[in-house]
Amino acid sequence: MIPTHWFLILSAILFSIGVCGVLTRRNGITIFMSIELMVNAVNLTFLAYARQFHQLHGLIFVFFVMAIAAAEAAVGLAIFISLFHHRETIDVDEANLMHW
Amino acid sequence: MPHALSYMLEYLIFFVFATIAVVFALMVVLHRNPVIGALSLVVAFFALAVMYVLLEAPFLAALQVIVYAGAIMVLFLFVIMLLNLQHRTEEATRPVQQFLGFTTSAAFLISLVYYIGKYAVFGKLPDGRFASDARTIGIRLFEAYVFPFEMVSILLLAAIVGALLLSSRGAATRAEIPTEVSE
Amino acid sequence: MAFDATDVVLSLIKIVIVLVMMLQVTPIMVWVERRGSALIQDRPGPNRIGPFGLLQSLIDALKFILKEDIIPTGAHKWLYTLAPVFGLVPALTTIAVVPWGRPFRIPQRISDGGALTSVGWTIAGLCILGAFLAGGATARYSRKPAHSKFNTVIGWLVVAALAGIAFLIGAALLALHAAGTVRVPAGGRWFEPIVADVNVGILVIFALASLGVYGIVSAGWASNNKYSLFGGIRASAQMISYELSLTLAAVSALLVAGSLRLSDVVWRQTGYFVLFDTIRIPAWNVFSPAMWLSFIIFSVSAFAETNRLPFDFAEAEAELVAGYHTEYSSMKFALFFMSEYMAMATMSALITTLFLGGWDIPWYNEPATFGGFLLSALAFTAKVAFLLFIFVWVRWTIPRLKYDILMRIGWKFFLPLALVNVVVVAFFIAKHWI
Repeated sequence: MIPTHWFLILSAILFSIGVCGVLTRRNGITIFMSIELMVNAVNLTFLAYARQFHQLHGLIFVFFVMAIAAAEAAVGLAIFISLFHHRETIDVDEANLMHW
Repeated sequence: MPHALSYMLEYLIFFVFATIAVVFALMVVLHRNPVIGALSLVVAFFALAVMYVLLEAPFLAALQVIVYAGAIMVLFLFVIMLLNLQHRTEEATRPVQQFLGFTTSAAFLISLVYYIGKYAVFGKLPDGRFASDARTIGIRLFEAYVFPFEMVSILLLAAIVGALLLSSRGAATRAEIPTEVSE
Repeated sequence: MAFDATDVVLSLIKIVIVLVMMLQVTPIMVWVERRGSALIQDRPGPNRIGPFGLLQSLIDALKFILKEDIIPTGAHKWLYTLAPVFGLVPALTTIAVVPWGRPFRIPQRISDGGALTSVGWTIAGLCILGAFLAGGATARYSRKPAHSKFNTVIGWLVVAALAGIAFLIGAALLALHAAGTVRVPAGGRWFEPIVADVNVGILVIFALASLGVYGIVSAGWASNNKYSLFGGIRASAQMISYELSLTLAAVSALLVAGSLRLSDVVWRQTGYFVLFDTIRIPAWNVFSPAMWLSFIIFSVSAFAETNRLPFDFAEAEAELVAGYHTEYSSMKFALFFMSEYMAMATMSALITTLFLGGWDIPWYNEPATFGGFLLSALAFTAKVAFLLFIFVWVRWTIPRLKYDILMRIGWKFFLPLALVNVVVVAFFIAKHWI
């Protein structure tokens, strides 16, 4: 059996890679993909704990997280499409309408 | 020594697929072409699905591939390809913020790994098999968690309606389109 | 998870058998497609290479290998080269969870004078007879004025091969006769003819089928060609739309079986429906009153998933040049070709397992022996072959309409129909009518 804290460390690595992506990149789609990576890292943590204590709650939560991430992806991409229609760019630094 | 062999196999699979997940996650974040980023994310999701199988949750592993790698990433690829986003380059205009971003996430990673390694070491796993098959999950979903289940379906409906409304052009621009085509 | 060397060897044998059968699908289907389409269109079809054009696939493979391999300028080299592989991997791996024969107990010893020796001598005799017939046909063909040397050489090679097989079988049987009985190393174990009998079998198939979209999308995008991109995007939208009705139609068969394992689904179909206390119909799901509609929905969605006519907008000859594989030549194009036929074979295997009773022989109770296993494997192959012929038949009979009609019926007709069908099947189960 693989010790649970190895899975937790893997999840931490993936989460920080996602954080790096969100903080560093300017392409909106890449930021969105880094957010999905962070959500998946958290899923891995839930499953690691679920296996450690033989509880089903972690599994059910991951199930719901997947459903909600699907909804979030659809709406987020729709927002990006409408941003692209208005500004012809997907660069999030250009989406600065709140200051002139 | 079959028992030692299956131990070794499990560790080998863990290391191989953990490396694949980390490498392709780095490619998502660092590659400048979003199409390659999306495809690397698919590979990372697949490697994570293997991790879920190692965590004795095969149902969720299959769901991960079906939902994330098979549906959400296809949606990403559609948007990237239809909006023709792959030819944009990002000019490096904010080096200080980028450097701060890299260092902050590196510090975050180091502190997380250190504290997890120090404090999150658990004892033995409970005896018996982990009952994570479709039947037990289904029973739990429809008995204890039936309210969130129904709420998620309404949420998905709201997401569909929201996505349709947000991504359609307004009625004014829709009226202009025939004149653009005819000239 | 205790496994030993014998388990590994048995698994390797299963993998080799399944892989070899899957790799044979493409050459055979190419011949069936070309001769079958010729039959439907009232023309001869390929008949030059080998008798009845049977070696056409071999020569086509040689042609593919020898053609120049082009990478267009502006194409993304890595993705362009890897895209055919993305298409091939799901087609080859989904067959791992499909049961293709009856599980049987490996005998402890093989003894001389049993059924095996009689079957062996019969096969050897048939091979000798076939060698004589082939020799006579080749000799008669070589005396014709317009004969081709290539065909005569192939003819004599077939004679030699048949004679060689007969010789080998005879030698093995004589050795068995001399030894008396032979002990089988893995004797006493159950041989389950399914490569990976996982608990969530059907979900693995859906997961890998949804990965098949990426091959087409990457090929379309990486070719740096407008028409390829259109073909790729059309195909991926079509595939993900019809995955929904495919999954829902399969769910009804799984509801009845009560399990996600495909072997459980097949075992459930080995009984009988009894009509009027006398007529026994095999309990295949297609004959069941609740699931004939799922069969239709699943088959139509299988056509859409494998990009076969009338749903082949990804290739769409005469519209999009050749769609997503316009810019592909030689072996990469051959890999796309192969992955399409293998996906067809996998879908046919899936339709057979879910609705046509898998390896069940209709009115015969197969015993748990090697003979029973062989008969059930033959039955499975016959059903898959029949479905593959239906794929070819439909392709050359039904026209291709418009893409928006395809998407409209996918979302507005098949998806609601599949949902209603699931509710109906659940109702039947709740009332214990199934």
